[in-house]
Amino acid sequence: MTGVATTKLYVERAIGAGLLAVAALAPVIVNDYWVDVILTQVLIVGIAALSLIFLSAYGGMVSLAQTALMGIAGFILGNMVTERAPGGETKGLLLGWDPTLSLVLAILGTTVIGLIFGAVASRSLGIYFLMITLTYSVIAFYFVGQVTVVSGFSGIAGINGYTPGFIGDMVNDRYRLYYIALLVALAVYGTVRFIVRTPFGLALQGIRDEPVRMGSLGYTVPLHRTLAFGLSAFFASLAGVLLVWWQGQIAPGDIGLQTTLELLIVAVIGGLGRLEGAFIGAFAFIVINNYIRDSWLTDLLDTVGIGGSFNTIIGLIFLAIVIVSPDGLMGLWDRLWGFLRQTEGPDEPTVTPQPAGQQG
Amino acid sequence: MSHLTRRWKLLLPFGVIAVAASIVISTSLAASQAREVRVAIMTDCKGAFGFGYEPDIGGAQAAFAQYAGGKAKNPKKPSAGMTGIKVGSTSVKIVGYGCGDDTVPTAVKETRRLMEQLKADVMIGPLSGDEAVSVANYAKTHPTKTFVIGTAGSQDPTLQIAPKNVFRYHGDGAQWNAGIGEIAYKKLGWRNAAIVMDDYSFGWTSGAGIIADFCAIGGKITKRVFPPLGTTDYASYIQQLPGPDQIDGYFWVVGGTGTGASLTAFEQANGALKPSQHIGNLFFAFLGADKVVAPKVVGSYVGGFGTGPGLKTKQAKAYEAVVAKHYPGLNGGNYADGFVYNYYNAAWAFIRGLQSSAGQLGAKLQASMPKTNASGYEVSDNGIVKLDGNRQAIQDQYPLQIVKNADGSVGTVVVGYVPNVDQSFGGLFKKTSPAPGRTQPPCVKKKLPWQGKIKVVKNGVITNAVIK
Repeated sequence: MTGVATTKLYVERAIGAGLLAVAALAPVIVNDYWVDVILTQVLIVGIAALSLIFLSAYGGMVSLAQTALMGIAGFILGNMVTERAPGGETKGLLLGWDPTLSLVLAILGTTVIGLIFGAVASRSLGIYFLMITLTYSVIAFYFVGQVTVVSGFSGIAGINGYTPGFIGDMVNDRYRLYYIALLVALAVYGTVRFIVRTPFGLALQGIRDEPVRMGSLGYTVPLHRTLAFGLSAFFASLAGVLLVWWQGQIAPGDIGLQTTLELLIVAVIGGLGRLEGAFIGAFAFIVINNYIRDSWLTDLLDTVGIGGSFNTIIGLIFLAIVIVSPDGLMGLWDRLWGFLRQTEGPDEPTVTPQPAGQQG
Repeated sequence: MSHLTRRWKLLLPFGVIAVAASIVISTSLAASQAREVRVAIMTDCKGAFGFGYEPDIGGAQAAFAQYAGGKAKNPKKPSAGMTGIKVGSTSVKIVGYGCGDDTVPTAVKETRRLMEQLKADVMIGPLSGDEAVSVANYAKTHPTKTFVIGTAGSQDPTLQIAPKNVFRYHGDGAQWNAGIGEIAYKKLGWRNAAIVMDDYSFGWTSGAGIIADFCAIGGKITKRVFPPLGTTDYASYIQQLPGPDQIDGYFWVVGGTGTGASLTAFEQANGALKPSQHIGNLFFAFLGADKVVAPKVVGSYVGGFGTGPGLKTKQAKAYEAVVAKHYPGLNGGNYADGFVYNYYNAAWAFIRGLQSSAGQLGAKLQASMPKTNASGYEVSDNGIVKLDGNRQAIQDQYPLQIVKNADGSVGTVVVGYVPNVDQSFGGLFKKTSPAPGRTQPPCVKKKLPWQGKIKVVKNGVITNAVIK
């Protein structure tokens, strides 16, 4: 590694540590809205995007099913924990089961569904894999929307009133959810970093790059892909649980086509090639979504007749990212260092994970 | 690649980031300016009710213009904003407009954006049934904020959930249909009927009003069919219905593009529609269905929307004149539309509440919110809408009939006046009863407060004759 590459590593670690410190102290640094809404949401969406980036960067699979898997965890939890209130203000099965048991079953159930989804899709690649996972997403959306016994269009409400004792009160205890989300995000990030260095992770990366050769070497390619998909479903289920605790409710709209695509946009903006991109992308997406509509930019775009909606603006940003830096904001960062390195002279290539679709 | 190209590729995204940062900072600074009463108007700009965006905002702001000195920035475009709103000595600022899409997740996010990021103290809205359920759940955990529902028809927000900081100055979807069952029973002679209803909270509430009203007088609902929202092919649901010779008629509670599609499927299965065999809820005649559906069923009766289009009373004319003065041509000049009307009344009631709380917010404002409102189409009690103990309006209702106008176009006329319709339907719906659903309410004979008291309305004038 050259001096610049080493410096980059140190700078990244320093920035990471700094961001972690800022995240840990967020309640004293930023206002409550930022903690309760923006940052908590960034962490939740970030975890979901991370499950997508894990599959893409290390498994070469771009999945559109992550939002659905997230929602499945939320719907399972919602159906299990809520009970018939005096006025029956919520829908679903209203089983009223123990919150801890329900939490475990929601995560487990989603992981199993993920494994089944993964097994079916594991033999396809590229656009076909994308289409199959899109199908999962659409099936999940229509299932919860049309099978009114488990949800219906209105969804299930009041889920955050039933949390396990060790999690605590989500409704009245400020910042609790934020810190739980932060811990979960760190744990997921750390787990993925660990997994990709294990023999399984290395085999997965081998399969990403040379599936035929890995098959010839005796690795069961579909099994590895299935397990990776199951793992990503597990991560997505954690995001789903956090989502229903944060929103208090879940409805089919949470896993609609738009939300599905939004998660992909988050991952692309952040960068499909690096795990950190999940949170960077989520941050950019959510901040823009929150602030753009009340800004002068909206008025400006409206005045010139483009229409200042959030979708227009995020679409323009998406377009700019895809043209300028296809590997997202993280890619931009890498490029900045590449630019610096160039001034220092040639360097031996370093191996970095490549997102699916960019393979040779 | 040249260095120059590399440079712009680097600089452009950083430029974008700089622009984004400046937006965040500028809007944050704007949000932390001097204290005043901050109001948000929550409505839909996307989804099935996206067309309600300007009419809703216009309705609410017409009240601010009339009673609180607000000046519209652009009378042709209400969402351009309003300045100079003052209630007594208190300045009121409209801090933002919510952009929902009639789904729960967007409603939750938009509500948080308006109430927490833009720090609104009061929300006027939302627009649709599921959104109101979300907002009511949110309100429960934010007791210092006050919510005046814009125009949403689900029952739950003010009956089963009913937080103390949620007010609704118009009827729910069930109330809007009061009287239509009795008309079917008396004027069309229906005894047995089937109902087709959208499988979600507004569909259930709207259907509940029809079922309650029709069964109360002695009718029987022999079949309930529930197509999911968003169905495009209704053939399988039509097959579940008894044939036209087996029952007296059909009630339709199918909205959006489903209104036309479901009737078309019915026609394909059973032949031409006989208007006297079909009654719809407001979807038959509002929300664009007036062009698509209404021409097929001229003569059919239709449930109301809590408004009296064409009602010739002084109060109704005065209301329409106020809206026309501040936002001429709003909603294509159809000021009797429930979207405009209900938002108008919500904003007006809030202004009066703020007046009597002398600018105080939270519990003070909630205690000062008026218990009555002189809404435009109200006739009972000298034109006064009253709130019940759950802060829900007891409101006159107006069943309609689809007619062919002299110029060949198709429209609706008010045919009945149903006085003082309460949300409980005389005790049928209670806080402890399940919210409307597939089996709720059951079909029961019952004496409703307005039974036998529905007056005939002719040419917009309420007569003394009752419907027989």
